[in-house]
Amino acid sequence: MIPKTILRDALARALSQGGDFAEIFCQDRRSNVLVLLDGRLTDAVTGRLHGAGIRVYNGLNSVYVHTNDTSREGLLRAAQKAADAVGAKPEVPDIALVGSIAPNRHAVRALPMDVPGAKKAALLARASAAARGVSAEIAQVSASLRTSETDVLIANSEGLCVEDARVYTRFAVSAVAAGGGENQTGSESPGALMGFELFDGRVDVEARARQAAERAVTMLHAEPCPAGVMPVVIDGGFGGVIFHEACGHSLEAAAVAFGNSEFCGKLGQQIASEKVTAVDDGTIANEWGSLNIDDEGNPTTRLVLIENGILKNYMVDRLNGRRMGLPSTGSGRRQDYTFAPTSRMRNTTIEPGTDDEAEIIASCGDGLYAKVMGGGSVNPVTGEFNFAVSEGYLIRGGRIDRPVRGAMLIGRGAEVLRKIDRVGRNMWMAQGMCGASSGSIPTNVGQPMIRVTDITVGGR
Amino acid sequence: MQTNAFIEKLFARAKEAGFTACEAFVSESESFSAGVFKGELISYESEDRFGLGFRGLYNGKMGYASTQVLDDDAIELLVGGAKENASLIEDEDRQFLHPGGDDYARIDSWNDGLEQITAAEKIAMARALEEKALGQDGRIEQTDGCQVFSSAGTTTIVNTLGLNVTARGNLLGGYVAPTARDGERVGSGYSLFAAVKPEDIDLEKTAKEAAERAIASMYGDSVPSGHMRALIRPEAAAELLATFSGVFSADAAQKGLSLLKGREGEQVAAKCVTLVDDPHRADSAASSPFDGEGVATARHDIIKDGVLVTLLHNLKTANKQGVKTTANATRSYNSTVGIAPTNFFIQPGACAEEELLAALGDGLIITDVEGLHAGANAISGDFSLSAKGHRVEGGRVVAPVKQITVAGNFFALLKDVEAVGADLRFGYPGGSWFGSPTLLVRALSVAGKDAED
Repeated sequence: MIPKTILRDALARALSQGGDFAEIFCQDRRSNVLVLLDGRLTDAVTGRLHGAGIRVYNGLNSVYVHTNDTSREGLLRAAQKAADAVGAKPEVPDIALVGSIAPNRHAVRALPMDVPGAKKAALLARASAAARGVSAEIAQVSASLRTSETDVLIANSEGLCVEDARVYTRFAVSAVAAGGGENQTGSESPGALMGFELFDGRVDVEARARQAAERAVTMLHAEPCPAGVMPVVIDGGFGGVIFHEACGHSLEAAAVAFGNSEFCGKLGQQIASEKVTAVDDGTIANEWGSLNIDDEGNPTTRLVLIENGILKNYMVDRLNGRRMGLPSTGSGRRQDYTFAPTSRMRNTTIEPGTDDEAEIIASCGDGLYAKVMGGGSVNPVTGEFNFAVSEGYLIRGGRIDRPVRGAMLIGRGAEVLRKIDRVGRNMWMAQGMCGASSGSIPTNVGQPMIRVTDITVGGR
Repeated sequence: MQTNAFIEKLFARAKEAGFTACEAFVSESESFSAGVFKGELISYESEDRFGLGFRGLYNGKMGYASTQVLDDDAIELLVGGAKENASLIEDEDRQFLHPGGDDYARIDSWNDGLEQITAAEKIAMARALEEKALGQDGRIEQTDGCQVFSSAGTTTIVNTLGLNVTARGNLLGGYVAPTARDGERVGSGYSLFAAVKPEDIDLEKTAKEAAERAIASMYGDSVPSGHMRALIRPEAAAELLATFSGVFSADAAQKGLSLLKGREGEQVAAKCVTLVDDPHRADSAASSPFDGEGVATARHDIIKDGVLVTLLHNLKTANKQGVKTTANATRSYNSTVGIAPTNFFIQPGACAEEELLAALGDGLIITDVEGLHAGANAISGDFSLSAKGHRVEGGRVVAPVKQITVAGNFFALLKDVEAVGADLRFGYPGGSWFGSPTLLVRALSVAGKDAED
């Protein structure tokens, strides 16, 4: 992408006013988005994002400057700006860059930017028709396909100079069911770190479109969820968002390093029910949250966060690692070159347990079955969270009763982790975009079916 | 390549490729932020951003492509990409490029004084903001974020029909999020400011408000579930308005995604509710003389005394409905034209705080709502959100409240407004700014602890 001599000169310039570490992150991304609405293709956009970000550390202080101008002059200008901001004692760094290409664990067969637009559009049309076919109550279907190919180059003053290529493909479908002056939606959005071969067996767009449409129809006929405190069974897949929000964010070094997490200083302690083992794994082949290297050039890892309820590890990036005296766990991520990286999740899951899924419901008494979760958010300082349930059912006498809509789960992360009394056997993952200070990045959430003994359910 | 030379070459190449008309949307911006923690500068970011969006009419369809690099490859990507995209479009709606020549309002969202504030001064401001927040109360422990940020940008739209408009704007803002501890209780709060002129920067006020919120968040309890009257404070009301602002888009309505479709002229809100979109407000960086299509902007009542006057339009949706555009086209260099409000707010009323409390009688004050990105359904209008606030009895604030959810429906809420306060405030600055005064509403469904607890 950019000659090593230029990178070296820019790094040296960045350290010319002091500082003890400099890094340059160069990125070029070609992307394409197609949107189909009511059976007709309405939006098609192609774009090229291009730029570089330069970081300088001076102890625990960090400066980040970024620009679209990746010419020698542009990079030196950005490096000078960063150096001026550090403004410490000048020294002459000696930087020797050793170039490498990150070993690729995520094979890509069909580069998505090479796939003709007409073929992509046809895929969306099939999905849309499938959703429409579910019920006459389906008033609208939108489907989209987002593909991108990104090259990154990361060089730093320790001599690292590594390149990586990342290819993403994601399909999304959203169906609206209408009736009686009301609307309800259902959506599915599978994706992976791979090319257009995503649709050769791994993702059946028509089946996913039908699922979305069926959910919308079910919710249209659902009653409002009663409010109160009750046991809640949360199913696998996107149900893992509860762990992502209520616990994952509080285990990121970005929160822990500043004492702004309820899990600070708890390594080695019991923070969850013994049934809970949780992992953040950036290495799983072609998974949505995987990467060969993180955005600081470190190989990604499989990191055990919680083992049988005991807190084992935090997710650590380079800068927060300095503050905490911990090495990077390959968790430094950013949306693109316009963001300085920080510690983020990758594929974060509660590992399979030993409980039988049928028994989990049968022994629940009266409660809520959250079959499909929506999104949520958490305050990492207090651990207070909230989640929407996008497909929920009441459990009455250990049996799944009727569908309910508008349910919202609220509570504190640390409490919920201790109240998990069942963990099922079958784990699966679902894709999401996680937003935080370093932007919006692809992450997987996942878990088997779990049960929380009691949780506040908001409804109407 | 220089931008003008690039555009000239781009338009020539597009014409050869068969585009009948085309447009370049150029945005250039500089932004800066400095973050401090315990007086130490922990983050410093400086950005130059450039983006060029190309769109053009090919066989009557609009194709889009964008780039951040201006080289010959980029011209091929833009023209080739936009042409393929245009040929895929099946949407039959007529597409427009605007020829310009409007009578544009003379508004300049630029303040030289803001530009003269140096990076070192902004860092000092961030330190002062943190120090002031920490000094408000002995229970304030530290901060979970304290930043001062600034941005300055220019937008230019040029097309082959003659449009050539440019506008600029700048802003300086900051926020602090103190954390508090009292024994086992922990809490957090935040407050922010967004100033379009140096005189508007008030660090003390921001620090005080953030600290008060952090302290308040430690205390309080849930309340029994039930239906309650409520005062919704400006920031919470503005967040609700922002979340549901999409329902006022004519595009959403025409696509069947808004329950306001075809309801112009009908009573959709209580008589005391007037909702305004004002692109010419002097105190906002979201103000602009033209919209994303280059059309001159103007102030519009969207809801007037409870009656829906108009939805928000761009050229395409207005043409489809046979009305004049409200000039609410929005776009960035890498997006297609959409619709968004500018400065969108509920017109303040005359009710003073004491009157609102007296009118509330027994109920809740809602100060914060969380979970809007997941707990709100813009299509149905349903929301179910985690909330904080205070309990009010006989018109007097008696205790803080937390760990509750409030649920309702946005469309019903508009009709349930009984009174509107005079305290209009805007929320987080962005492409659109949302504001509201305190709203007194007839009923919110509250879930807290079970009544028998």
